[in-house]
Amino acid sequence: MVLLCGIPSESPLAMVAAQLRRLGVPHVFFNQRHVARTDMWFTVSRGHVTGRLNLDGRTYRLEDFRGVYTRLMDDRALPEMRDEPEDSEKSRHSHALHDTLMQWCEVTPARVVNRTAPMGSNSSKPYQAQLIRKHGFSIPETLITNDPELVRQFLSRHQQLIYKSISGIRSIVETLDESALARLGHIRWCPTQFQEYIPGKNLRVHTIDSRVFATAVVSNVTDYRYAHLQKGGETELSATELSEQLVQRCLRLSQGLGLSFAGIDLKVTPDERVYCLEVNPSPAFSYYESNTGQPIAEAVARFLSGHWV
Amino acid sequence: MWLVLCETQDVAAQWAYLGLLARGVEPLELITSTNLAQAVCWEHRLGNDGVLTTVTLADGRHISSSDVHGALNRLLTAPSALLPLARPSEKAYASQELVSFFLSWLYSLPGPVLNRPTPQGLSGQWRHLSEWVWLSAKAGLPVSPYVVSADAGSGYAPVQMSLAPPDAPVRTVLLVGNQVVGDSIPEAIAEGCRRLGQLANTALLGIDFAANPEGYWTFTSATPLPDLRQGGEVVLDAMAAKLTGG
Repeated sequence: MVLLCGIPSESPLAMVAAQLRRLGVPHVFFNQRHVARTDMWFTVSRGHVTGRLNLDGRTYRLEDFRGVYTRLMDDRALPEMRDEPEDSEKSRHSHALHDTLMQWCEVTPARVVNRTAPMGSNSSKPYQAQLIRKHGFSIPETLITNDPELVRQFLSRHQQLIYKSISGIRSIVETLDESALARLGHIRWCPTQFQEYIPGKNLRVHTIDSRVFATAVVSNVTDYRYAHLQKGGETELSATELSEQLVQRCLRLSQGLGLSFAGIDLKVTPDERVYCLEVNPSPAFSYYESNTGQPIAEAVARFLSGHWV
Repeated sequence: MWLVLCETQDVAAQWAYLGLLARGVEPLELITSTNLAQAVCWEHRLGNDGVLTTVTLADGRHISSSDVHGALNRLLTAPSALLPLARPSEKAYASQELVSFFLSWLYSLPGPVLNRPTPQGLSGQWRHLSEWVWLSAKAGLPVSPYVVSADAGSGYAPVQMSLAPPDAPVRTVLLVGNQVVGDSIPEAIAEGCRRLGQLANTALLGIDFAANPEGYWTFTSATPLPDLRQGGEVVLDAMAAKLTGG
């Protein structure tokens, strides 16, 4: 049995559910929109974890779940919870339910894609960059500072810089242009991250257990994820193959970060040097699969089912 | 140089600072969250050759990571004197950026760090009690069953099933690396604490037990931020040895 956590219509969750159905793997949804009709408890006794999950009137033994796929959103932002006071019965139940689920995910012997603790590396990009470097990838020269003069010196050394958030909060990667330079004094309020611009081909590599799917990305904007928001912005995705050496390096990186499923962002320079920009621990792979036909959802479904069906 | 990094009100860290100084851990800099909140300049550089960080504090001190040999790290939050001035719409973002920045800086400190930060805690990984109970059982420590429930009947709170009787005396064990510090610790408990430290990948831990009159110890909780004073002179010796590689 596989447990799918989140909102069933969300693309990655829906695509994995479709593959589980196709493969005949039993699965149920922990549907966040149904928190009012969901209950859960578990016990840790002598290192063994057992418990029950009640979903819409049906009860499941937690120990029967062999795979868990979590695509949870902040429960406070759920449409059902948006207008609820923080201390209402409904809010308290929702928070307790999500907290119980997250605690269980950390201790269950099931295959969890992905557990909370290893997903945390993405909460600090420079912290994650240090882990990435230990796994043999090049990382861009980076400066985090609250001193505008140091940024100007860094710019004169690298000619072209980008800036982006330090944390896991999504931000659009921007080039440090004249208009941004004019606002450089603002960084005195908070250290800000600047990086040398790395020219070359963008690659998104999804790893799931021992399988690897590489997608080449060609775009005319700095941050291809937001090409559709920019005038004239275009992005093309295509499936591609990696060398065996690079495949193994990507797998070692995911494994080293404790991630069964990861989206690795690489940049390959014209002289074939491979930079790793970031590892996404909860990749929205549907964008890549829809554009390339790569069977990523099927690989996730097969992994969750506990064996390569 | 060695660092003691702590919240301004952390008297246990300040006690440790004086104790480490008395043991010859020098030069030793006490840097509080107030000092860090008022830092004049941060320069944190990462690249393929490594990480180099320099912070200039308002009192004129320059702390360069290239001079650091180790640290006692008890920071809980990323301090900033300017954060309260941020626009309400940007406060949460700025706060998250600072935490992420501090995580990177603290992680990059060279030498032994008690404790090295993790994404789940700047001074070591904070865990739910359910996870500590699970890890403790794996480490071979005696532990009672523990229930977590989202059920209204539990008041939406974990039900602690006699992890400790309310009047049971508490015994605290401090773990520094492989050294166990505390009074009259049974050998099996000491060994379990060492295994717990390894499983939790945390060098400095405070581990609480309930002890019954027959001398039977049961795990009740653990923290990466214990009150170090409970370990007295012995824990200072252990930390000094760990930080200096002695």
